[in-house]
Amino acid sequence: MALTELNFEFKPGNPKSIVDDWSHVGVVSSSDLEVLIEKGKACKGKACFHVLTTVVGFDNIWETVLQRIVETTGLSGVNVSINDNAATPAVVKRRILQAIENGGGLQ
Amino acid sequence: MRINWNELQEKSFYQATARERANGIVDDGTFKEFLGPRDKMVSPHLIILGEAVEYDDGMTAGVGKIGKHPVFVISQEGKFVGGALGEVNGAKMSYTLKLAIDCYDAMKEKYGKVPDDRKPIVVVSYDSGGVRLHEANAGLVAHSECMECMWKLQNKVPNISIIGSSLGAYGAQGFVCLSADVVLANDYGRIGLTGPDVIQQEVGKDEFDASDRALIWRTMGARSKYILGDVNFLLKDSIKEFRDKIVAMSDLPMSEISKYRHLGSEELVEENLNVVKIAGREKINDSKDLWKYYGNENVDELPELPQEEFLKVVKRRPRGL
Repeated sequence: MALTELNFEFKPGNPKSIVDDWSHVGVVSSSDLEVLIEKGKACKGKACFHVLTTVVGFDNIWETVLQRIVETTGLSGVNVSINDNAATPAVVKRRILQAIENGGGLQ
Repeated sequence: MRINWNELQEKSFYQATARERANGIVDDGTFKEFLGPRDKMVSPHLIILGEAVEYDDGMTAGVGKIGKHPVFVISQEGKFVGGALGEVNGAKMSYTLKLAIDCYDAMKEKYGKVPDDRKPIVVVSYDSGGVRLHEANAGLVAHSECMECMWKLQNKVPNISIIGSSLGAYGAQGFVCLSADVVLANDYGRIGLTGPDVIQQEVGKDEFDASDRALIWRTMGARSKYILGDVNFLLKDSIKEFRDKIVAMSDLPMSEISKYRHLGSEELVEENLNVVKIAGREKINDSKDLWKYYGNENVDELPELPQEEFLKVVKRRPRGL
């Protein structure tokens, strides 16, 4: 079965970006994912997500989970690339927050 | 991207990720990664098969420094597709080894000889099941390229294997790791050619019971390999322990380091065959019999002892026989 490719863009109300240029956490093991956050000029004021996942049919859940994270944290000005191997929404949220912390936090 | 080197030093080698291991082995802040996650070089074969991909293809390779030594580090990530070698990470591994040879040759050409306190070093942390079956041919080619490089590294560049992760070194990686000069392991390390389940499937449960954990560990585990001499040093499970051992060995002349080798000359082949002969002659049915043959009496306790006590009481196979 082919991989599912998803692309989303969200604009938070209180835009903040990570301190460092980039940040990477996680290993694509079973029920886990890797998150790569890179600052990008093309994403001014918004967070652009690119998700590659093995799971089919959970597009709406991905959208909801990622949108909520962007709204609560204000993450913007970044490209977020995710490689996923069937992680649950809780793990996805954890890893993205971990990646933000690894990039020096938001400011 | 932030890495706290001081925190890493105390971290368990077994629990760390491949990237943490690679960064912790070399001096603080000196690690430069080749084809890191930002390069997004993923395996093209896994995408076609609809399998999850990773931006570093399950391997952290790069160069760092220990004192004045350039240290080429390859660290496999066992959690991604069993750490197995495919086209992309195989090329990363073999080209990093090639770079170490080129580095040595360039130093030699420029300065006439390579001083002991500046010679390049290769460190490979194994965490792999062998060839990635999704891209088997490319994986096998990568293995043979790595073996060729390791042959060329011999007597030039110290080549140090670390077996300290959850998977250890299995399949083709089992003999790649033993082609090194020195093998370091912690208590969780395992080395083997065929995994327990495959042995059971092929020759039956009477021959090898894959559900018997104790049997697996005393056959393939680091302690047994330490007694037989395949593992040169058994260390505690922290990144600092492995780093300290490598730092201590880094300034040794190459002739001293080559003495730890297991393969690479006719005498060493004879030495290895001798163990096989002993196993046949003495009717060895279990690793414990072999441990007893080399002079250990409390063979039932050996796997259970804390590591410090184990190292005090254990008797190892004498080298050169």
